[in-house]
Amino acid sequence: MTAILQLNGVEKAFGGLKALDGVTIDLNEGEILSVIGPNGAGKSTLFNVITGVYTPDAGNILFRGRSVVGLAPFQVTTLGISRTFQNVHLFPQMTVLENAMVGQHCRTKAGLFGALFPFGSTRREEARIRERAVAALEFFGTRLAGYRQRQPAYVLSYANRRRLEMARAIATEPTVLLLDEPTAGMNPRETLELRDNINRMRDELGLTLLVIEHDMRVVKGVSDRVIAMDYGKPIAEGTYDEVANDPQVIAAYLGTKAVG
Amino acid sequence: MPAPLARAWKPALIAGIVVVYVSAVGLIEQFAEVYAIGTQVSLARVLLLLPLFLAGWVATRTTVERGERKVLAMPQAALSGAVTGLVGGAMVSIVLLAVDAIDPDTIGEVLIAVSTKLLGIVSFDQSLGTGIVLWLVLGAVVGALGGVVRALSPGARRVVLAGPLTIGVLAILQRVVSTAIKELGFRPDFLYDSKTSGLTWAGGIAAAVIVTLAVVGRDVLRSRPEAAAAPAARPAAASTGLGGFTTRQLVQGAVAIIAVLALPWVIGTALSGTVGTVMIFILLGLGLNIVVGFAGLLDLGYVAFFAFGAYATALLTGAQVNTTDGAGDPAFSLGLNFYVAIPIVVLLAAGVGLLVGSPVLRLRGDYLAIVTLGLGEVVSTLVTSKWAEGLVGGPQGMRDITGGDIGPTDFQNNPRHFYYLALVFVLLALYTSWRLQYSRVGRAWNAMREDEQVADAMGISTTRYKLLAFATGGAIGSLGGALLAIQLGSLTPRSFDVNVSILALAVVILGGLGSLRGVMVGSLALVGLPGFLREFEEFRPLALGAVIIAIMLLRPQGILPNVRVTEDIADEDRDQDAWARAAAGQPATETSAVEPA
Ligand SMILES: Nc1ncnc2c1ncn2[C@@H]1O[C@H](COP(=O)(O)OP(=O)(O)OP(=O)(O)O)[C@@H](O)[C@H]1O
Ligand SMILES: [Mg+2]
Repeated sequence: MTAILQLNGVEKAFGGLKALDGVTIDLNEGEILSVIGPNGAGKSTLFNVITGVYTPDAGNILFRGRSVVGLAPFQVTTLGISRTFQNVHLFPQMTVLENAMVGQHCRTKAGLFGALFPFGSTRREEARIRERAVAALEFFGTRLAGYRQRQPAYVLSYANRRRLEMARAIATEPTVLLLDEPTAGMNPRETLELRDNINRMRDELGLTLLVIEHDMRVVKGVSDRVIAMDYGKPIAEGTYDEVANDPQVIAAYLGTKAVG
Repeated sequence: MPAPLARAWKPALIAGIVVVYVSAVGLIEQFAEVYAIGTQVSLARVLLLLPLFLAGWVATRTTVERGERKVLAMPQAALSGAVTGLVGGAMVSIVLLAVDAIDPDTIGEVLIAVSTKLLGIVSFDQSLGTGIVLWLVLGAVVGALGGVVRALSPGARRVVLAGPLTIGVLAILQRVVSTAIKELGFRPDFLYDSKTSGLTWAGGIAAAVIVTLAVVGRDVLRSRPEAAAAPAARPAAASTGLGGFTTRQLVQGAVAIIAVLALPWVIGTALSGTVGTVMIFILLGLGLNIVVGFAGLLDLGYVAFFAFGAYATALLTGAQVNTTDGAGDPAFSLGLNFYVAIPIVVLLAAGVGLLVGSPVLRLRGDYLAIVTLGLGEVVSTLVTSKWAEGLVGGPQGMRDITGGDIGPTDFQNNPRHFYYLALVFVLLALYTSWRLQYSRVGRAWNAMREDEQVADAMGISTTRYKLLAFATGGAIGSLGGALLAIQLGSLTPRSFDVNVSILALAVVILGGLGSLRGVMVGSLALVGLPGFLREFEEFRPLALGAVIIAIMLLRPQGILPNVRVTEDIADEDRDQDAWARAAAGQPATETSAVEPA
């Protein structure tokens, strides 16, 4: 197995607070790696430094062997790392389909000239954008199909907003997909459905996934490996069972500072 | 508090304040002699009673109480409306009594519009006592009408409102319509009274009846069973017309084209000039709509592009600068043909867009607004300055701008000819906006408007698309400036102050951000209306302010918002959502995954 995404000693501080304190992670091609940890452990910050929202203070981040440190978020996405947000961020006034079509932006080229004179290649490109966006939406079966695609995103139910956000990320045709608490706010049935969908993302779309998740049934059901973080540091790494039974992890979740 | 009163007091209070306000600023007196119909119904009186009608309408709204939708049935609706109107009328009466007690002319020393004369007008030209009785009675009646109209089914409401709205439109457009009738070779006497210039009772009622019958007829035709079944059969019928259009669409299109082409010959020379100005502002609106409506960049200095387009056109086509002793050659000038100059102006304006855009790339929202406001002022100051006097004439401006004429046309002196030049420009800008709206570029702009950081995270270079928005918007705005230069033949910096930026923004906001139809309607309402009915001219700033505040409060998406955004969401859905959330104490979850067949 080759590591497609490597973090080497990544640090990020906000003022005096070390949100990431020497994080070293290898994400192997084709695996699903879950990141768990109590609130404020630095999980979302990890996503933000990978995707270029923040620049790390120290350390390096390599994607396919090339450093992505210092790149703007749109450049990182174009290279093939896409993401969702812990608090769903859609384009609420745009339709569901248009949201997904925005995902195709970085894989297409048409500019001002193409818009004004929509012939030949522009027309074919627009058709392709639409086709792939629909395909991304239909990854979730009928949930985002049919009339829903013409509705503005803000009328969607909470669970569907999360699905749309994932579909939009899929529409960017990434190699690595980062999901930040994808099941947060979903009911048990929806959570289980999404667990299966996350597995399908790897099996059917061939994605490599880094998933932040609080629901342990989901973590157990999707992860090839699990990393537990606390105070900006990975404190345990291994299979689900290894990490779940790690005394340091249990201590971290119980809120006491890990001892010895 | 009894139920009708509980609903009534707020709308009534607001209506009362509106009535007092429009009176106190002089609007009522201005319109006292402008007759809508006969000599009894002046626009002033309509304006005095309309707030109470609207208050009755608002008071009768459907409310959600403890999770239940409360819809008022007809008798209660009439009652709630009447109570509202009565309370509103009573409030106006109290103010009238107070003003009378203090003495209107004393108040007039502070609020200059207030006078004994105004008091008389607001008392319906009766004694104060009779006036107050009238306010109470008319208030209750008008308010009740508002409530009743609200309680009607949408179909019935359309029928009932068709007549009054027809009269209203004909009254407001009295100059336009009577000129049009004259230009067509008829005498407008049957519709408009030549003495009051308002509608005649017979003409007004006849027009109202005809339009009402037309609405009824159309509704009856639509509700026939065959017609109701038609939408399903439409795909088959659609292929019968030319090039995929139905016959109906072809006819409508042809009528629209003929109407647009014939317009200047119907409305007369003077009004054609007004329409020309409307079209200049449509261009400004379309350009600004790209920046603000599509890309979400609040630009308050848009006048910069207007000025640039005007002055660049003047310089490239070889105009003269005004000097203290006549005219002189500017420091730089090219005697280019107008049609060669225009593409150059547009390209240069796009360049100015990049220049304006680059320093403000990192700014958002309010900060962007303030900095662009400043940049707009910089341009106004520059063209006025001593430093630029040799180039653009400083405060004296420029003159002898000519060009564009082909053969017998005279764009400068014949507003009808100018109309066609402006039409070509507007069509170009419309085509550009329309194509961009649903393109990859348009989607990138919209995404950026909705959430800049997320757009970035989804692979959109926000820097690039911000600059592209400023450049495209600036290019279209410069076309407006070029037209102004041709229309006036001379330029002074006074035409390019901050008011242009504000008016252009109001045009965009009134119609609904992002909506192309909205820009046209907004420009007609804010630029055209004052030209059609001169009495509006003085109150444009007031109208601007009122319109903007009202829209922000009532319809944040504008009057004619970009339809695709709202078409699927009926009021009902929103009420239901609110109800469901309140009932569950949490965000509404999915109700059903089943798709309607
Ligand atoms: N932009 C910021 N400015 C200042 N502090 C920040 C910022 N972003 C994150 N932090 C802080 O960094 C720490 C880690 O935050 P982060 O959001 O990464 O935690 P998390 O593991 O995702 O937690 P949660 O489970 O609540 O989502 C927190 O203490 C947070 O307050
Ligand atoms: Mg987080």
